[in-house]
Amino acid sequence: MNLPYHPAKKEDLHHLGIEQVDESSMKERTLDLLDEFRKFARSFSVMLETCTRCGACAKACHSYLGTDDFNNLPAARAGLLRSIFARYFTWSGRLFRGFAGAREFDADTLDTWASYFYQCTVCRRCAVYCPCGIDTGEIVLAGRNILLRMGIAPSFLVTIGRNELQTGNNSGILKPAIIDSCSFLEDELRDETGIDIRIPVDKPHTEVLFLPSSSELFTNVETLLGAAKVFHILGVDWTLSSVMLEAANYGLHFDVEILKKHDRRMRTAAAAVGARHVILGECGHGWRAARMYAEGANGPVPFHLEHVLDYVAKRLPELNLTRLPLRATLHDSCNYGRGTGLLDSPRQIVKACVEEFVEMSPNRERNFCCGGGSGLLMDEMHDLRMQFGKMKARQIQALQPLDYVAAPCASCKAQLPLVLKHYGMGATVCGGVMDLVGKALVMEEMKAP
Amino acid sequence: MEFLLGALLPYTACAVFISGTVMKIAGWLKKPVPFHITLFPAPRNTMGKVAALAGEFFFCGRIFREDKALWLRVWLFHLSLGLVIAGHVVGIYCLRDQFTLVGVSPGTSRFMSKLLGGLSGGVMVLSLYALLIGRIVNPEVRKLSVAEDFFNLLLLMALAVSGIMMYLPGFQADLPAVRAYMSDLIMFRSAALPDSPMFVSHFLLANILLLYFPFSRLLHAAGSIVNRAMLMEAPPASPTAEGAAPRSRFAARRVHAALHAAAQGPVDRGGQT
Repeated sequence: MNLPYHPAKKEDLHHLGIEQVDESSMKERTLDLLDEFRKFARSFSVMLETCTRCGACAKACHSYLGTDDFNNLPAARAGLLRSIFARYFTWSGRLFRGFAGAREFDADTLDTWASYFYQCTVCRRCAVYCPCGIDTGEIVLAGRNILLRMGIAPSFLVTIGRNELQTGNNSGILKPAIIDSCSFLEDELRDETGIDIRIPVDKPHTEVLFLPSSSELFTNVETLLGAAKVFHILGVDWTLSSVMLEAANYGLHFDVEILKKHDRRMRTAAAAVGARHVILGECGHGWRAARMYAEGANGPVPFHLEHVLDYVAKRLPELNLTRLPLRATLHDSCNYGRGTGLLDSPRQIVKACVEEFVEMSPNRERNFCCGGGSGLLMDEMHDLRMQFGKMKARQIQALQPLDYVAAPCASCKAQLPLVLKHYGMGATVCGGVMDLVGKALVMEEMKAP
Repeated sequence: MEFLLGALLPYTACAVFISGTVMKIAGWLKKPVPFHITLFPAPRNTMGKVAALAGEFFFCGRIFREDKALWLRVWLFHLSLGLVIAGHVVGIYCLRDQFTLVGVSPGTSRFMSKLLGGLSGGVMVLSLYALLIGRIVNPEVRKLSVAEDFFNLLLLMALAVSGIMMYLPGFQADLPAVRAYMSDLIMFRSAALPDSPMFVSHFLLANILLLYFPFSRLLHAAGSIVNRAMLMEAPPASPTAEGAAPRSRFAARRVHAALHAAAQGPVDRGGQT
């Protein structure tokens, strides 16, 4: 197989309970799984059966526009699966074959799926443009689930999935390391502000459980520090959890079973500290998984789920912010804009933190993806990802000179600095929204009235 | 032959059209929607949803915003198709006298009916032609297209052309005879096919379309609405309201397991007095 990523090995797949399927039974197994998924979700079969091949999605897709590879055109990408589905599961495809766009399952089928379903970032921009309301992301995600069940998945995703199952966070950090890192960060905060700002871990009987992206403990530290400062100033009774130190849920990208299990862990973590209010940090797909998928995954959600940016925007008048001398823009993470409708809060916050706020064009639900979403951050896909980031680079280029791109999502934060550098905009810094709040916040101990 | 073409075919075609389409849509709706796949920004209330659906259904709003040339082809075709279908129902039933209801003379009504019908048919043929050319000229769309896409356009075009041909001298069908035939068909009375070769060809093509519709991509008419409804679902609120029905079978199993576990656990007497 000629794949853009390193495929997971047999023994890694074992940790997810997956057995690789032999060559000889691949067709049969694929058809079984297609049957399973068409019964699993309405979206899968309707969206496979409604495309009129009008081509309206061509202009919507950053992956197609960046790579110029026909199979990355959303209708063509979905067509890789649509044609097989038509052949074995629709009347017209069984009867009229090629005439109705149906194709036989052959040796290349799974190769093309494995390659092109992982060149889509599930940003859902094509769904905004499709006159038939087709969300190609739904087809891609189902396709990835089917591939995983056949034993085909990127090693990168399988490793992270395993980390989530075993440790509750993407980075595989264990409790002692979490406690160590947090006390180190508390020292940093004390050095910077002269105030004792706590980053509690597993504090019992807390009101708020905060789930940051686990990368905030090491690489995007400023984001977590910003949140800690805000919680301190607002007097929030909050804690991190060593059971689940993660907003992300990689199950969304390729495995419904991990999605369910990791969501269950969120409930366990909240119950362990007694939290009735769970706040998620800056992670795009994680917020979509929590807000939109939790109820379907494990039934009624027993706590109030909120995004940190909504929470901070709501309490913005209580914060004393100075405007930082920056010309900044906001990158709408696809999972915030199109995925969950989190559009106004980040704008409100960034505007309050910087001297000059400029909008990208297009923005909000029409914003282009950074090119790093849905678990494509593996190193071996770097060159392809830079192509995926072409439209984003063009959008940012139009705003130069620009000091800061606020991207409140851990995947965007990993991808955008590389895009900026690749397209010659190394002087523009990319970071979170909470980073800005942390820097703009005037830290004075609350005085008793 | 008369029986085959004039009775068996139309009844079979209608039965296949109705049962096939209903079965297809029911098959879709029977399948669960395990997760919220709302695409934001989504309309918040029913009125908003209806307005958004209507905007798509009658105006193709999404294509309008993005690609005016594609929109013009698509919209003109669907508009003329709608007018032609409505015109068939009203025009045949009223024998082109429908506009007397708004106060014009029967002569004027017949003229208006013919003009509007001819015009709609003409626009339909032209827009279908434009859609066909668009499919061939745009390299991306050509590469996406399969034989069915061209067949659908050509079938509709043949249907429209045979309909317009009946306006030409020599090909005209006797409208009262057509009406009598249609009403006999609808009332399940034995009916004689009007003696007009052009009408018979048009009628034959219409039956082929009905037979073929539920199996073809023409069903996007229904699929689009089913899709859009999923993308407009109201997002979940948290904490989940008491007594909300479980969203998926696996969520239901979790709920059941939790209840079961609670029932089996030690009895909590803390609240009792």
